[in-house]
Amino acid sequence: MKRKLSNWALLLIILLGIFVLAACNDEETSSEDDSNTDNEEPSAEDPLTLTFFSADGTEKEFNDPVAQKITEETGIKLELDYPVGGNDEAIPLMIASGDYPDLIFAKGDIGKLIEAGGVIKLNDLIEEKGDNLKAMYGDQLNRLRNSLEDPSIYTVGTYGVENAFWETSGTFQIQMDVLRELGYPEIRTLEEFEAALTEYYEKYPEIDGQKTIPLSLLGSDWRWLITVGNPAGFAAGKPDDGQWAVNDDTGEATYKFLLPEFKEYFKWLNGMNAKGLLDPESFTHTYDTYISKLSSGRVLSIADQSWNIGDADKALVADGKEWKTYAPLPVTLNEDIKSQGLKDYGFAGGWGIAISSTSEHQEEAFEFLDWMASEEAQILVNWGIEGENYDIVDGKRVMQEDDRERMNTDKDYGKETGVGYYVYPFPQWGNGAVDSTGQSISPNTEQDIIDNFNSAEKEVLKEYEMENWIDWFPSPEELERSKHGTVSNYTIPAGSDLQIIQQKADDLTEQQITQAVLGDPANFDQAWDKMIADLEAMNIEQANQEMTKMVQDTMELWGTKE
Amino acid sequence: MSRENNATSAQPNLPEPPPPVERQIRIGTDLLKKKRHSKDPKGKGFWKRASKQKALLLMSLPFVIWLVVFKYIPIGGWLMAFQDFKPQFGFFEQEWVGWKHFKDLFNEPMFYTALENTLGMGILGLVFGTASAIIFALLLNELRFHALKKWTQTISYLPHFVSWVIVANIVITMLSQDGAINNILVSLGLIDQPINFMARPDMFWGIVTLSDVWKETGWNAIIYLAAMAGVDPQLYEAAKVDGASRLRQMWHITLPSIRSVIIVLLILNIGNLINIGFEKQMLLGNNIVMEKALVIDLYALDYGIGMFRYSFGTAIGIFKSVISVILILICNSVAKRIGEGRVF
Repeated sequence: MKRKLSNWALLLIILLGIFVLAACNDEETSSEDDSNTDNEEPSAEDPLTLTFFSADGTEKEFNDPVAQKITEETGIKLELDYPVGGNDEAIPLMIASGDYPDLIFAKGDIGKLIEAGGVIKLNDLIEEKGDNLKAMYGDQLNRLRNSLEDPSIYTVGTYGVENAFWETSGTFQIQMDVLRELGYPEIRTLEEFEAALTEYYEKYPEIDGQKTIPLSLLGSDWRWLITVGNPAGFAAGKPDDGQWAVNDDTGEATYKFLLPEFKEYFKWLNGMNAKGLLDPESFTHTYDTYISKLSSGRVLSIADQSWNIGDADKALVADGKEWKTYAPLPVTLNEDIKSQGLKDYGFAGGWGIAISSTSEHQEEAFEFLDWMASEEAQILVNWGIEGENYDIVDGKRVMQEDDRERMNTDKDYGKETGVGYYVYPFPQWGNGAVDSTGQSISPNTEQDIIDNFNSAEKEVLKEYEMENWIDWFPSPEELERSKHGTVSNYTIPAGSDLQIIQQKADDLTEQQITQAVLGDPANFDQAWDKMIADLEAMNIEQANQEMTKMVQDTMELWGTKE
Repeated sequence: MSRENNATSAQPNLPEPPPPVERQIRIGTDLLKKKRHSKDPKGKGFWKRASKQKALLLMSLPFVIWLVVFKYIPIGGWLMAFQDFKPQFGFFEQEWVGWKHFKDLFNEPMFYTALENTLGMGILGLVFGTASAIIFALLLNELRFHALKKWTQTISYLPHFVSWVIVANIVITMLSQDGAINNILVSLGLIDQPINFMARPDMFWGIVTLSDVWKETGWNAIIYLAAMAGVDPQLYEAAKVDGASRLRQMWHITLPSIRSVIIVLLILNIGNLINIGFEKQMLLGNNIVMEKALVIDLYALDYGIGMFRYSFGTAIGIFKSVISVILILICNSVAKRIGEGRVF
């Protein structure tokens, strides 16, 4: 009986298998017939909807006033899609399913899309009808190329072409109150930084009844990279090259944690921990806890990107605790090292918006991207609508008072009105660019940034006799424009040895550096040596060589190699 | 031809009632005998029997289709593990690489860390999860106050419906340095300094197991409670007459009565030992404890699909399936040997 039944089952399986396969084939052919090829010109009345996936997107409808104006001008409506919960697998899954949106902003995953044939080459389109894009990129168009083997252009946009440097981000930041209490000292080195924290901490072991935290980091998730890894590079005077340290003249790349400067920084951090100056929960608390600690005003210093702590900053100002907000510091290991806070990486190609190979509206999508690079579009997306968001006074654009106010205080302003929302990651001129009448293309000028400092910032700046925090930092001219851009924007080939080794090295360093920092100072050297040995065992030297080649190829591709 | 077959073929138009079990078995053995002794080139008996059981066959058809479509056809995707799969090409245009991905996998020290952690946390979860559920069910079963029993049971399985994201946040907050657990321990004088639980790799497995027990005990106890409800009350009465205490009754009546349920559930769970998921580890873990938190699924996610290495991810999947099948076979044969309930 048993055997008979299994024969039965076998027969059924075979029959069904054939049946299902046949059914699948049927479906494929029939769906092809269904696809409607409508060749109508899109217009404002009957807009064409393009789907757009942005790796940095948030939930939003394309229906704000600026969006409506864009539709009016181009006849294009966007359907915005975004990765849910910072999902890293969005692009791989998209490729696996073969179901692409019309426009894709994939950030670092663009290489996977190129390899999968999911996106099209834009060279011919740019040549034929990309006048606005050509004008915008000028001689930096080469920086959009993919690689030496395949010097085609797949993406446009993301970062501005002409950039001004009025702000820094990512270096150490110290509470304004610490500076005031200590009589506005000069803080240039880690040593001075630590001394300032210690002095204030001894004076005020508690703030508002809670324990004072001299330095807090957020190393429990991916933010390890921006609050632990990158600040080490800044202290060592290295420009941000992701996990790499690159010699800009030779193009030689080294996995950054192999360098002695980094050991020095983490040894200092280890000492901070041993002295009780580092928040013991730095590597375990969640982002929410971290932000609530900062918002309480009891964290004296951080090493973070400004955009990561925006919520805490707003909360502090709203609570009237302006003196508990933070001032950026050009702190480095010693006085001979220049802080790279204002480094000009040049126009960083590599990332950008691509058009999918399955899109039925590739031409329209390209025309839309090209239009976004026009002067008209740049004014619209940066300033909003004339008469509603800005007025023209004496031939110059002036932001309306309430818009200006909301832009700086209301985090939902961009989402609601669309003003500034469609600048990144679309093609953008950059905040240093001017339009045909010589006015700035961006409503934010350095003066605006200075005007928008809170009362504490203004007072501290006055005490230090400075206009803006950037006066503390070496100027972009002094630091020189990077010849290789930045490795953070490079596309590392999917599944390559370099990618796998780097991922393994990142996992290893995140874990072992954290353990070394939290460990006994007596064991630090030993722990560090073990990590270096482990890195060498996973063939980090091969990764160094491959990355060096990649940097040198990029420099050759861009024509910046000497 | 057996007597039964003759009888039915005599009246082919009559609707056939489902044959009783005994008769089916007899038909089965008869057919087997026939196959052994005489050749039947046309397979006449086979089709006859099929037409006789067509109602049963029709009824089972949807499930067989389901099984084939969702469980068997996808196995074809396993071939991917022997290719360097690139989604832009069709399945048959891929480059075949043989055992390359398996070799990569077995040469990777990280994989062994992941395997150790998966099995470690899997076994801990299985032992403590099963034990806590059985003990909890025993205690509930002894409660004579009915309303309280219902309430306790309902409350105890509510955490099952709470998502791991929330549970992980509760656990992290409770165990933080100024969290409730540390406050209690310090105020009781058991420790001098707050312990940073989440930064202790040696405690990670324990934390995962405990939070799992907290979340799932009530839910897992349901099936044991149901089994206990089926125990014949006469047994307890007889035991009482013999002077057995409550503990004795538990030990000698309740537990032996549900032994087969326990064993079947154990076998099924052991088969899933390696499939412990990764939510707990991903949500509770951090960079410090990663060496103890990395599990196979997390590894497959980060180094497989996350890096676009579908073939490598598939190889990990095959490895997991093979381990699962081996574990089930071992457990089943052990259960067979000790003469207890088994899965097949």
